Amino acid sequence: MKALEGLIVVLAMCIPFVAIKSVDLTTYIYWCLVSAGYLSYIAFSRW
Amino acid sequence: MLMLYALLSYLIIGTVIAILAKKKVFTDEDYYIAGRNVSGVVSALTYAATTYSAFMMVGLVGLTYLSGVGALGFELFYLVGTLLLLSYYAPKIWKMGKEKGLVTPGDLIASKYGETTAKIMAVVVAIALIPYTSIQFVGISFLLGNSMSFEAGVMISAVIIALWALLGGLRSVAWTDAVFGLFMLSMAILAVFYASSMLPAKTDFSKLGELLYVPNSFWTPITFISYTLPWFFFALTNPQVVQRIFIPKDEKSLRRMVVLFGLFGLFYTILVTLLGLQIRLLTEEGVFPRVSNRDLVTPTFINMIPEWLGVAIAISIFAAAITTANSIVLTLSSMFSKDLLRNRSVLAGRVFVLLITSAIAIFAIQKPNYIVDLAVMSSTILLCQLPLIFGLFHYKIGDKISASLTLIVGFSTAVAMYYTKATLGVPVSVWVLLVSFAVFFVTAILEKRFKAQN
Repeated sequence: MKALEGLIVVLAMCIPFVAIKSVDLTTYIYWCLVSAGYLSYIAFSRW
Repeated sequence: MLMLYALLSYLIIGTVIAILAKKKVFTDEDYYIAGRNVSGVVSALTYAATTYSAFMMVGLVGLTYLSGVGALGFELFYLVGTLLLLSYYAPKIWKMGKEKGLVTPGDLIASKYGETTAKIMAVVVAIALIPYTSIQFVGISFLLGNSMSFEAGVMISAVIIALWALLGGLRSVAWTDAVFGLFMLSMAILAVFYASSMLPAKTDFSKLGELLYVPNSFWTPITFISYTLPWFFFALTNPQVVQRIFIPKDEKSLRRMVVLFGLFGLFYTILVTLLGLQIRLLTEEGVFPRVSNRDLVTPTFINMIPEWLGVAIAISIFAAAITTANSIVLTLSSMFSKDLLRNRSVLAGRVFVLLITSAIAIFAIQKPNYIVDLAVMSSTILLCQLPLIFGLFHYKIGDKISASLTLIVGFSTAVAMYYTKATLGVPVSVWVLLVSFAVFFVTAILEKRFKAQN
């Protein structure tokens, strides 16, 4: 298991809980970008 | 009346697709996993349609309306977890399946832990998934409430599920999943566009206040963990999706399945949660009534939009429930006939499709409260399989006794903690994982020593 990769992804997804507190769509967009980035990594770099 | 015509059209279109998709079925491999010969695109769409049930357009829209962007985080946590697990384990599981002729998730478990463990797993999975599937029936029957009685809704759902599964097994189910998966996505796009058009000009999302960040009064860290943890491992613990790893025709198709599923999941999640936020904004603007029961947000929205659009969205929710339910029914029938009874005949599988669909319909019609309780804990119950699945690839220890005990103790822990609520403030899913892994390692080491001594 790529434990480090898993840890990085989980920590990146947890960041809004500690570092984003804005009353706009920042948290929403951040989560979408992290997920899209990870999907791109799987699609283009992993395989 | 429009709803009945739409429902009839859905039934006819789906049946035509199921008939066109079916090929001659000679073996259990043909029936349950389409002869391991499904393209990457269809594999991705059936994986997505199986995963994303009516929960998305009803439950997740309502959860976002009530709790805000945390609902997006919860659902995307599931998605990245699935991508992580699939990108690593799916090629290994697919290869094992092809080399050893595995057809069911039980076959996978039996390859290391023996047939008795696979039998116990079939029972645990059935207890977890039959009530969960019943909830799908209940949900869609309520959705059709204005057009027919609750019982008639359940019966129609049961007939559609059994018919498509009986016609051509997984090939029919996969193609109906693929077509209606795209329909679900299209209707979510239309719903978001229509909700946007209802918003007054110069609407500002900042009116949603604490709903735009986490933690807030709903999404405390503990709540987030208790929602997220069972779903994070969904790709490995839910047999209906594990079985789909066997179906792509080659490794390239498998990779395509994972990536396209991820793309579908990302778009669908964004659309559904955006709809929830938009409807909440409509409430804050005084355009939409304040709904306290989150499961009624989508039905209320459907009643406020033009009838043709409301009916189309309702049918897409109906399709989402059916595509999830028929996949579960087919997987459970494979596990009952193959793993529990060791019967490889396709006839036995078809008989079990009828029996399991009937059991689910009977559960649904009775609507007892414990169905809801069991459905809520279904994913948590299924977590007890995780040590066994990791053990296939990472641990040398572990055999039939340790594996069987892990399933029994893990399952009992989930059920006992849900009913007694004696969790010391820790999410039940965390307890189930801790207990299952502890039992697995301790008993596996003892089992190994006992074998060495004898």
